Order: sequence, then structure tokens, then C-alpha cells
Amino acid sequence: MTSDFAIVTRDETQHESRLIHGLAERRGAVIEARDDCDEELRALCELEWNRLRNALGRIREGRWRCVVSASRQDGAVSTTSTISVNLLDLSIVTTPPHLGSDYEMLIELASVPPTADAHVRELPLVWRNGSGAVLLHEAAGHAAEHGHAPAGWPSWLRVLDESEQGTADLTRGEPPMAMRRQSFTDVPMRRMTSVRVEAGLDRQIPARRIDVLLIAGGRYEPLTETVTVFVSAADLVDGDRSVRLRPFVIESPRAAVAGALRGSTGGVRRYPGVICSKEGQELFAASHAPDLVTEFR
Amino acid sequence: MSESYRKFGRTVRYENGTIVRVEEAGEAVEEGKTFSCRPVARSNTLAPIDTAPLEQVVREIEDLVRPPLTIERIVVSEGVARHEFDGREWRETIRRVHLSMVFRSTRALIHLGDFDLDDVRAIAAALPRIGPQREAPARVLLAPNVAAALVPHLVGVAPPNVRLSQSAGGFDGKGQPVEARPIGEEPWPNWYRPSYRSRPVLAPFHLRVLCDVTAIDEDLPRAIALLAPPEPLLLRVLCAGRDHVFPATIRVMRIDAVAREARWYPFGAGSFGAEMML
Repeated sequence: MTSDFAIVTRDETQHESRLIHGLAERRGAVIEARDDCDEELRALCELEWNRLRNALGRIREGRWRCVVSASRQDGAVSTTSTISVNLLDLSIVTTPPHLGSDYEMLIELASVPPTADAHVRELPLVWRNGSGAVLLHEAAGHAAEHGHAPAGWPSWLRVLDESEQGTADLTRGEPPMAMRRQSFTDVPMRRMTSVRVEAGLDRQIPARRIDVLLIAGGRYEPLTETVTVFVSAADLVDGDRSVRLRPFVIESPRAAVAGALRGSTGGVRRYPGVICSKEGQELFAASHAPDLVTEFR
Repeated sequence: MSESYRKFGRTVRYENGTIVRVEEAGEAVEEGKTFSCRPVARSNTLAPIDTAPLEQVVREIEDLVRPPLTIERIVVSEGVARHEFDGREWRETIRRVHLSMVFRSTRALIHLGDFDLDDVRAIAAALPRIGPQREAPARVLLAPNVAAALVPHLVGVAPPNVRLSQSAGGFDGKGQPVEARPIGEEPWPNWYRPSYRSRPVLAPFHLRVLCDVTAIDEDLPRAIALLAPPEPLLLRVLCAGRDHVFPATIRVMRIDAVAREARWYPFGAGSFGAEMML
């Protein structure tokens, strides 16, 4: 197996600026990596960064970090840009076309102080804003990356990972098609690119429920097949009244996540995105899902 | 005031079946609140790395961690670097082993700052004999690799009968020699800069725990491996007693003795692990 990879990255914050570039040649099980600069990629990266820099002017509050990369894998050039914004205890990761709307959502979420505690085992959860894709990124996606057998997913549910290399049905245990890496010194691995949840069982939204609005992070423990999701913003809803909940954690065996799924409502929505970390490599994964209803008992 | 730092490095890393050779050089500039870094022309003054010792260590680990154990993750690396800061120049070489070995649903974590595999041997021999979870023994002996992981978490909360000290060795991220000194309150005297892409931070180096009592009761159950990354004063460990091997969670309430002989481990900016009696 031989392959060539080159990348130029700008990693920028309000006070810090990092330029990273390099080439990696893979010959069988050996990668030779050097920090040489591919000037065509450098020009592409600078162009993209300059575009993005103008858009950052709309971020009035909070801290941001932008990672812009132009890369070439075996002749195919691509660019990626992600922006993370932190405000108070909340954060989003998004892409340039959605920066404005996602930032406004973050402002709105941060404007409501949490005042109540969640009882996540007593109420149904409705995963709003596409956040159900993050739950299934952990429960179906990472399990498939580890080669774990499907977890008894409902027949009305499909969790797909879409990339230029093809589509993997994560609910059937198919691993992601794309081999991805963060930089030229990293070993490429099968990693999720864009998770899309399709759900075919319409479900009435319960009047009394918890609406999950924003996720701080997630984890999948491959040895115990346990899923952990850190919810940073959620509302306790009772009819037309709602109160913001303090951050909480959902920890559950993967099989119990499958058993907790009750249905969905509405069309597929885009979640801002997640930064997925594995072997120290942080990669952006897009996330899309309809509003999912779960009941953890 | 602007400060400029340069690093020229060469590493070889074995990562889960792939060998990665990296050559790179970069410059970092700090000016007030701002930090920037970028690659610079590489230097050819670094010695090539002989990969034979690294490959030998990987083979030995693979021989030690055999079924019913599995290797979940293995990263073995060796590197050489030349640093420049404010007219000073210094060199360093590093060796690291990061290994997680698994038996059923139990994972043992090993982080080494050299290629001595005694810890790996001991853990690989004990892990397949693991039994059910037990209460933490009333008195327990931490092996050096476990104690070393605890040491950085003792800063500011160490019990009064032990002292934390920085040990002398090498240079910090701004070229200042790291000198022996007691560790009390912040600010620490030295800058930690693991990469030219990392903004340097003040940190204690080569931490060591000293105790007037150094006699160790070798008959105590021995915590020989971390089963999870340590939390402050809370260790999930693999314990080996006279007849049993079991997982336990130890809350560090007091330290009764610390042996004199210690080994360096790559936790934070380095810590020395010595047998520690709780």
C-alpha cells in the first residue's frame, strides 16, 4: 500500500496563531512525514482563512477557535473549516455557512440561566436541534469503528455515516468508509465524517419531557460498550412552561440506548457538529437527525 | 517584549502497527498576550535515530502481552531535538511507551519514560488472574508506576508528613536549567513546553515525594497498575495480594512511607515514582 498526503492548516484563536504544514508518504506500514510546504495548498488555506476571518467579525461575545485546512490525498484536494465558539459554559462547533445561525443559537441558549436539576430517568427526553445524532454517533458510530455487533437497533432507525468514500450503515455495524487523519504526523484511521440519522416512526411529543438542546461531549467505552453523553443545555418542559436545567450526564449501556429509542418527530435537522477525538486526533464530524424521543428507565 | 523559541526535531514512533518517522522544525513567538508558531527550515545537525531498540521493545511487548491478554493501544517512540531560546541552545533525547493492555473488560494503562519493561512484565503476569472488585485494602503499597501518576495530583494537597520537590535535570522550555527545589505554592520556576506548537506554561518538573519514613512493608497488597487515568487523590488500580489479584478504588487519605529508590515517568512535566505505602 502506498499513499501520499499533504496538508496546510491554520489554527487560530483571538490571541494565538498556528501554521502547520507537512507531507506524509506511506509505504506499507511505514509513514515518512516531513514539515515541507505544498504551496498550492498553502494558497488555498490562506484564501479560506481570509474568507473566514471576515465572518468572525460577527462574534461579539465569547472565545473562538478556527481550524482551516487544505489537504491533498493521492492527488485529490479538499478544504475544511471549523469554528468553535465558547460562551459561558456552553460551546458549539460549526462550519462557515452556519456560523451566523449557530452563533445566534448559542447566544440564545446562554441567555437563559439554568435553575433546575434534571431527573433523566423519570421523563422522556426529546433530542432537539439534531442532537440525537450525537447520541448515536457514540452508540452506533464508535461501536461500528470498534467492530462491535449491532445493538438491536429498532427497525425504523438507520444511522448512516456519509463521506466521499461512500456511505456506511452504522446501525448494521458497518465501519466508516473514510480513512481520516488530523495532520501529516498522524496515522489515518476509519473515522466518521457526517452522521445522518433516519427515523421512520412518528411519535407524538410528550407534554412533560426534557428537551435536549446542546451537547458538551460524548464518550464510548469499548470494553463495556457504555455510552456517556454530557448535556450542556436542556429544558424541562411541561405543556407550555419550561425551565432551563443544569448540565447533566447520561450514561447507559449501548444496548439500553437502543432499547430507549421510542420514535422521532419532524424532519432531519442539522446539529452544529462535534469534534471527535481519538488517538489524540481531533476531527470534525457533521451531525444530522430528526428530533428523537428516548425513555431511559 | 517578544520571545522567540526554535525547535528542530526528529522522532520515530510505532503506533498500533504503523511506524511513523517525523522530521520537523518550528519557531514560536510570544509577544504579550499573543502567541504564534510556524514551521522553519529544518536543520540537518540532528543525529539519525537508530530504530533497532524501538523495534526490539515493540517485539518484547508483543511477546509479553499474549492471549488471553490483548494490546488495545501501543505507542512506542524515540526522539531527538535541538532547542534554541534567547541565545541558548540545548539538546534532548526522549523515549516513551504508552500501552493499554486488556483482559476481558479490564484495561491496564502503562506510561513509561524509558524502554525498561519490568512494569509491563509484572502487569501482564498478574492481569489474567484478576478476580472480582474488592474494597480497597486498609493499607496498600503503590508500585512506582502508580505512585508516579499520583504525584502531580499531590501538589497543594500533600499531607504534612511528606514534602514535594522538583528534581534537577535538563532544561525547561526557555532554556533554564531545571534545578532541585522544594515545591510549595505557585508560581513554579520553570516553563513547560512539550512542543513548539504549545504555548509554554509554568509547571513543576521531575516531581518527587519525600518522606522521613522510607521503610516499606513489602507484604502489603501492591497496587501494580492504573486501571483508569488518576483523578485527584482517587486511584482505580489493579491490586496484587498474596493470593488474589483484584481491582480496587483507592482514596488517598494519608501517606505512611515513601521508598528512596525512584524511577522517572512521563506524567505532566515528569514525576518520579517510588514505592509508596498508604
